[in-house]
Parts: sequence; C-alpha cells; structure tokens
Amino acid sequence: MGNLVQAELRKTTTTGLWWGLLIPTVLVALGGGLLSGLIGRAFVDLTSSADAEQLSEMLGVTPDQWKFSLFGIARSINLATVFPLIFGALAVSGEIGRRTITTTFLTAPSRMHTMLAKMLVYALWGAIYGLAIMGFVALGVVLTSSSGQLPDSGGWAMLTLVCVVSSILMTMFGIGLGALIPNTAGVVVLLTMYFVVIENAVLLGLRIAGTPETVVGFLPNGSVNGLTGSVVVDLFLSKAGVVPEEAITFLRMFAGAGGAQSWWLSGLIFLGWVAVAFGGGWALTARKDIT
Amino acid sequence: MHDGSGLIAVQNLTKQFGSVTAVQNLSFTVSPGSVTGFLGPNGAGKTTTLRMLLGLVTPTSGTATINGRQFHQLGQPGRVVGAVLEAQGFHPRRTARNHLRVYAAAIGVPDTQADQVLSLVGLATAADRAVGGFSLGMKQRLAVATALLGDPQVLVLDEPANGLDPEGIAWLRTFLQSYARMGRTVLISSHLLAEVEQTVDQVVIISRGQTMYYGPLEHLRQQQQRRVLVQPSDVGALATALREGGVLTIEQLVDGRLAVSGVDSKHVADVALRAGVSVYGIQEEQVDLERIFFQLTSGQYAGQAPAPYQQQGGWA
Ligand SMILES: Nc1ncnc2c1ncn2[C@@H]1O[C@H](COP(=O)(O)OP(=O)(O)O)[C@@H](O)[C@H]1O
Ligand SMILES: [Mg+2]
Repeated sequence: MGNLVQAELRKTTTTGLWWGLLIPTVLVALGGGLLSGLIGRAFVDLTSSADAEQLSEMLGVTPDQWKFSLFGIARSINLATVFPLIFGALAVSGEIGRRTITTTFLTAPSRMHTMLAKMLVYALWGAIYGLAIMGFVALGVVLTSSSGQLPDSGGWAMLTLVCVVSSILMTMFGIGLGALIPNTAGVVVLLTMYFVVIENAVLLGLRIAGTPETVVGFLPNGSVNGLTGSVVVDLFLSKAGVVPEEAITFLRMFAGAGGAQSWWLSGLIFLGWVAVAFGGGWALTARKDIT
Repeated sequence: MHDGSGLIAVQNLTKQFGSVTAVQNLSFTVSPGSVTGFLGPNGAGKTTTLRMLLGLVTPTSGTATINGRQFHQLGQPGRVVGAVLEAQGFHPRRTARNHLRVYAAAIGVPDTQADQVLSLVGLATAADRAVGGFSLGMKQRLAVATALLGDPQVLVLDEPANGLDPEGIAWLRTFLQSYARMGRTVLISSHLLAEVEQTVDQVVIISRGQTMYYGPLEHLRQQQQRRVLVQPSDVGALATALREGGVLTIEQLVDGRLAVSGVDSKHVADVALRAGVSVYGIQEEQVDLERIFFQLTSGQYAGQAPAPYQQQGGWA
C-alpha cells in the first residue's frame, strides 16, 4: 500500500496541476478575506450611527463589538474550496481521459488498492489546500479589519478546523464524481456550476416560494456550507449579546448557512454525500472495462 | 501466489460488448522461451483478448491466466508481467523520468531502475523532456521502458511496431528474441504477419474472435506449397507428360501458363524436354506466409472490389 501511496503522491507532484489550481485558490481566499474585512468595517460604521443606538441598547453590546467579518470568512472559504473539489475531480477522470489509468491498473495489486491510495493522497492535498485557504483568508481579513472584529484564538482554531475538514471532504467528493463522470471538462463544469450556481438558485427559488429552507441543509452545497457557516454564526452570537430569534435566521443567511443544521451535523450530512459519491465512483471504477 | 511457470493460458475466452462479440471461445497457451505472435486482422479481437489477460476487461466467460493465476491474483503484477498496449497514455506534462518513477514506486522497484530502462530503450537523453513533445516512436519506446520496469517474467505487447521507425523495429526484434531466450515469455500481437515473421517462433492466428491456427510458425511454412509456373509451347502435351510422370496437381492459369505444384522447376523442364515441348518461360512461385495468413483470416470485413467501370454504349 505504501508503494501505491508514493506513486499517487508522485503523480500529483510531477505535473503543474497542484500549483496551477493553488494559485486561483489563494487569490480567491485572499480577495475574499480582504473583502470580508472591508464589508465588516462598513457594516460597523453603518450601525454605529446614531440610529443604531437603540438597537445596541436592546442587544446589550455596542456594534463595534460585532464581528461582521466572520460572515465574509465563511463565504470566502466556501467559494475557495471549489478548487480542491476540482483537484479531486481530476484524480480519476484525468487518468481515464489521458488513458494513464491502464498503466496505473497494470502496476497495482488491485483497483481497490489504487482507489484507496488516491483517497489517502488526495486527503493530504485537501488538507494542504484547506490550510492555504484559511491562511490567505485570515491574511486578507487581518489586513482590512479592526482588531475588535477578529475572532479570538479559539475562534481561529475552530475556523481552521472546519476549513480543512470541508476542503478534504470537497476533494473526496470530487474524486467520486470524477470517477462517476469520467470526462474531465464535463465533471469540472458540472461540479463548479452545481456548487456555485445551481444549488444557490434552488435556495433562492425555495425562498421565493416560501417553502422551508431546511431541505437545503441536506443538499451537498448546503451541508458543506453549513459546516463553515454554522461555526461562524455560533462565533458571532457568542459575542453579540442577546439576539432575537428572527435575526438569527438572517445571520445564518449571511453566513451562507441558510437552512443548514449545526456545524457537526452539516459535516456528517456532507460526509454522507461524500460516501455516496466516492462509493459510487469506486464501484464503477472497480468493474469498468478499460478498453 | 503464482507458480512462476511463465505460462499464459487462455481458455474458452469470450467477450461480448453489447451486441458485438469481440472474442469467441478462444483458447491457446503461450510457453516461455520463445516469442509468440498473436495475429489477426483489424477487429479480430487481439486487443480485447490481451486486455482480458491483463485484468483490464472482464471476460463474459472463460479465463485467462498468467503463471496459473488471474491478473488480480498476482499480488505484485508489475513484477510478473509487463505490457505495452495500444492507447496506453502518458501525461503530456510529465517528463519521461518522472513517468517511470511514478510506476517504479507503484511496482516497488528502486528509482535507479527508471534510468536503467530509459537507457535500455535509448531514451536516456530525453529523460527530462515532457512526454507531450515526444514522437509516436519515442512514446512507444517509453511504453516498452515502462513494461520493463519490474523486470517481468512475461512480456505482452499489442502492436508494438506501430509508430516505430525501422531502427526501432530492428531493435525491438533483437530485444524480444534475447528476452525470450533468457527463458521468459513474450507475446506480441500484430495485424501483419510480415511484420513479426522474423521475430516469432510460435503463432496464434485469430479471425472474428476465434482461433484459426495455433502452433509453430515452421509448421505453417511447411504447409505452404511451391508452385512452378511454366509457359510451354504446347500446354496439352506438357500437362499429359507431367500426369504420366505422376504429377497430378496441375492448373491452367488465365494467362495460359501452367501452375505445377509439388515439384521443382528442374523437374518440369526435364519433363518438357523429354516430351519435345519448348519452354518459353519458367519460374518458381513462393507462396508467401502472408497469403496463407490472408487465407486463414479472410472474410472478416472483406472489402468489396470496386465495381467495373461501365460506359454507356461502351466500345471497349
Ligand atoms: N469497448 C468496446 N465497445 C464495443 N465494442 C468494442 C469495444 N472494444 C472493442 N470492440 C469491438 O470488438 C472487436 C474486436 O476489437 P479489438 O479487440 O480491438 O480487435 P483487434 O485488436 O484485433 O483489432 C471489434 O469489432 C471492436 O469494434
Ligand atoms: Mg488492436
């Protein structure tokens, strides 16, 4: 097994794909972080005006203690993890497309061994992408936020945890889908469209129709966003004083976790999706005729 | 794990792709110590058979084994069998050396083996170039290098001559023969007998997914008959004289010549002299193996002859 893990690791380091995708990843993360800080600052300025005094009296905290930039952090992580998703999606579909899969299977004890080795190596890459995303989002936010808006060290640790977990899970989900749809362009377009556009459109439709949004929390994007979003809402609320129930719904929407369950439940739901995608891709790859 | 015999055994192998029967009840064995040619026209089922042997395609029925085991039971397959297959790909941006190092790691051989096989196939100077810039022949050499990484006991090559330059073909020929002489097993497919005629000792000839001939190439050669083509002054007289001498396989060709089988030209000329028939031309015809191959395998996708050109109110 160690041999195959090393082989898969070498596959990923001997082409430029890992840094080719890492560049847009960190740019999105950094840009998102910078923007999060700026928007958070604008919000605080707005709510600090005289009109908001009533509100802050009601809540028991002054608006400059509100950590608005947290919402942007969650959004930035959600967007940036689309790149590890693509990286994972190319793991199997790329090999089938370039027909290197033939040599890969000829040099492995079984296809199961190959898939397992890929899973381990791509989990590592998912973690590396996750750490890079967190690092650059944090850098952006720190540059543009006032220090009162930043989470404390426990908050940072929690954010890092969910960012890395969500990045790893997205990579795994990508591997599965790439094995199910072994067409590199097709699977990349489909996944990007789904995670960036399609599910958000569904969410919007549900909102307009007035149907409960909870269903979204069980969909792939809704659940993986719930992982980061719910943590951010918790962190915000822990420093925001008394927040009325109706406001929480809005906060969850801001965090991109509208309709989502708690962070760990969201994580488990997305893990379920990953298991379905990876299991399906695994089963298909195991029996597929390579001609 | 496996018996180390170097034996390839294909038994009643059948593969159905939907409604297409690619391979039908195919059986043959390949022994170590010689190069075996796996021959058949395009679409005969060679690639499908080899891919079933290598565990890449699941047979509809029947078995294919190497060293008495199916591919997925070999344990470390890369150390038992090396394969060069059609449509075996490379990542265009990976260098030749890195490509080999990836698979050296998978097989579990040291990285130095990558450089060794590169020099063996004559690609040492191109080691650090991206494979995307390689010619077809260079890619084929790299595929051979990949197959040799695990120093396997069995080598399987699917149409390896495709894309190779004459020098490459000559090299491959010598290499495969010496590889077999070391007591290893070499199975090489081709749609042209002539291409492998000088390389192989044994042949398996298939057509439409079925075995047509399987045995030493030498036996096939012996089956072929020589014919003497002779243009006599009197066809009837020569034919009669030959028949009286016990030669019964005589054919008259459309151009008026006689085709006589089973004897040499000297015999025909002597008979003609005794019968008082002049010989205007005499020639020994070598029915080449390719023709036997063609006869064994013809029929599949037989191309139609172009329709004769017909002119309206022709004056031909
Ligand atoms: N994946 C596939 N799907 C459907 N038909 C196939 C597939 N692979 C091969 N065939 C068919 O099987 C037959 C044998 O093909 P192949 O094994 O490639 O022959 P050869 O290598 O002798 O040229 C052909 O009719 C081919 O069209
Ligand atoms: Mg073929």
